[in-house]
Amino acid sequence: MAGTRAPRRGDIISIASTATVDPVRVEVRGLSKSFGQVRAVSDLGFTVEPGTVTGFLGPNGAGKTTTLRMLLGLMQPDSGTATFNGAPYTALPTPLRTVGAVLETAFHPARSGRNHLRVYCRAAGFPLSRADEVLVQVGLADAGNRRAGGYSLGMRQRLALATALLGDPGVLVLDEPANGLDPEGIQWLRGFLRHLAHDQGRTVLVSSHLLSEVEQTVDRVVIVGAGRLVREGSMEQLRSGADGAGTVLVRSPEITRLADVLRADGVAAVQEDGTLTVHGSTPADVGRTAFAAGIELHELRSRTSGLEEIYFQLTSGSEQFAAPSTTGQEATR
Amino acid sequence: MIRLVRAEWTKLFTTKVWLGLLLGAVVLVIGFSILFTSFAGNAESGIPDVGTPLYEQLALATGANANILFLILGIIGMTQEYRHRTATPTFLTTPRRWQVVVAKLVAYALVSVAFALVVVAVNYVTVLIHAGARGAAPSLNAENLEVLGSSLLALVIYAVIGVGLGALLRNQVGAIVGGLVYLFVVEPVIRSIPATSGAYKWMPGGGLEALTATFEGPELLGAWQGALLLLGYGLLAALLGTLLAVRRDVV
Repeated sequence: MAGTRAPRRGDIISIASTATVDPVRVEVRGLSKSFGQVRAVSDLGFTVEPGTVTGFLGPNGAGKTTTLRMLLGLMQPDSGTATFNGAPYTALPTPLRTVGAVLETAFHPARSGRNHLRVYCRAAGFPLSRADEVLVQVGLADAGNRRAGGYSLGMRQRLALATALLGDPGVLVLDEPANGLDPEGIQWLRGFLRHLAHDQGRTVLVSSHLLSEVEQTVDRVVIVGAGRLVREGSMEQLRSGADGAGTVLVRSPEITRLADVLRADGVAAVQEDGTLTVHGSTPADVGRTAFAAGIELHELRSRTSGLEEIYFQLTSGSEQFAAPSTTGQEATR
Repeated sequence: MIRLVRAEWTKLFTTKVWLGLLLGAVVLVIGFSILFTSFAGNAESGIPDVGTPLYEQLALATGANANILFLILGIIGMTQEYRHRTATPTFLTTPRRWQVVVAKLVAYALVSVAFALVVVAVNYVTVLIHAGARGAAPSLNAENLEVLGSSLLALVIYAVIGVGLGALLRNQVGAIVGGLVYLFVVEPVIRSIPATSGAYKWMPGGGLEALTATFEGPELLGAWQGALLLLGYGLLAALLGTLLAVRRDVV
């Protein structure tokens, strides 16, 4: 995507190294956590593979943030494990070298972006020059000496990402990173994450409550609803629907005859407003049937590109657990 | 651990909080030094005249009055992590959280040694100039040095108590207001009521007074016992704060 316009500072081009990192596999097994009477996360298990961008999806209140916080050792699970190549976060010798995390954007407003990064360089034992390198990487080099309190929302997200990149980690975990980014920033982030995963072999886990937000970025999805795993798999598997075959839309002047022919083959077809909706089939199969019967077609397309609809169907019903809160902390009740 | 202590210093010196608190402490101690020296020899004030050992010990102990600012220094050092939500990146960097609290205790103890040196030096110089102008500059004899040293020790211990209190309460405003109310309302009341004043010597303020005060006051422990008591409170707060910080979820 960097080829669509001239590269600028902060573009993915600026990551000089295409060196790959040691692959790290993230495994979540039987993770559960309750807040009082509410089970925020319930026996959740999934795997995040190196070299892929995995979307961690679910409606607000589905337990995404709670899961990520347990993954990162910030919250204690009631049961279950979350490991990086077999080791829990709190057992990693220098965790920032293995995992970089972008959670909420947290800075002291009076501290400059560069000094914010230097604090964590010191704490993790990295050279202070790493602060300047990651500032360049996320396109904040010019703003490094300004107070973080004066940053725009997008700049704060970039600074949080810079903090996550300090240790050149094999795993990146991002919680709703697109919040506050303008369309250009979202474009940049997409390219950046894909570059980190596909070109450098990192493991990228990115959460979102909107499938459309990450649809173009992710290779795999882990969908949760009400703290439980709803679906885990590749985007292709998701697109092709639950049973491997999708829904096909057909328009034809002989729509009734086409429906009869299809039904005669045992294919479910629903006629509505001059459009035929065919379930459990593919455009190729429907087209072949129509051609064999000599039926003229005006439109023939797969409807499963409406991923949002699949996502909505998968997660509907879990929304009742969404917190009616305005605190922005999901899954805390 | 050295890395973590240095990280704490980077945090402290990349905002201006330390400067405000240090300047505040300096202004406070200059004010008290001048006040004590101005009223020295005044029959109604009860402060002995300049040149007497008792006056010098009183005037040179005023540095200990900056204890509240050192308490706030420690409180802010810990609670800013929660107030600005930097506890998340801090604990991500150092998931063994007790190390963070210990690093803060060490970092703030060492920093407050330097700050307290400034405070007692300003205390001495102010008294030296003012009392000198009134005819009798104090010398740095053993007794006066002991008074200055006691102030220094008290200030450092209060910074340590502040870090522990901050880890315990997490809420910055609550911890500062609570600390102020305790020091300026609760303890003075306990100290003044005969029924409870016996307990006062076991409280932090009693420990501080035993360590630094030369006024005639209620029954107190010895100076070194007071210092140990005070340090005990600091370490108790830090220990409880550490245990809580390790167990509590970071949200």
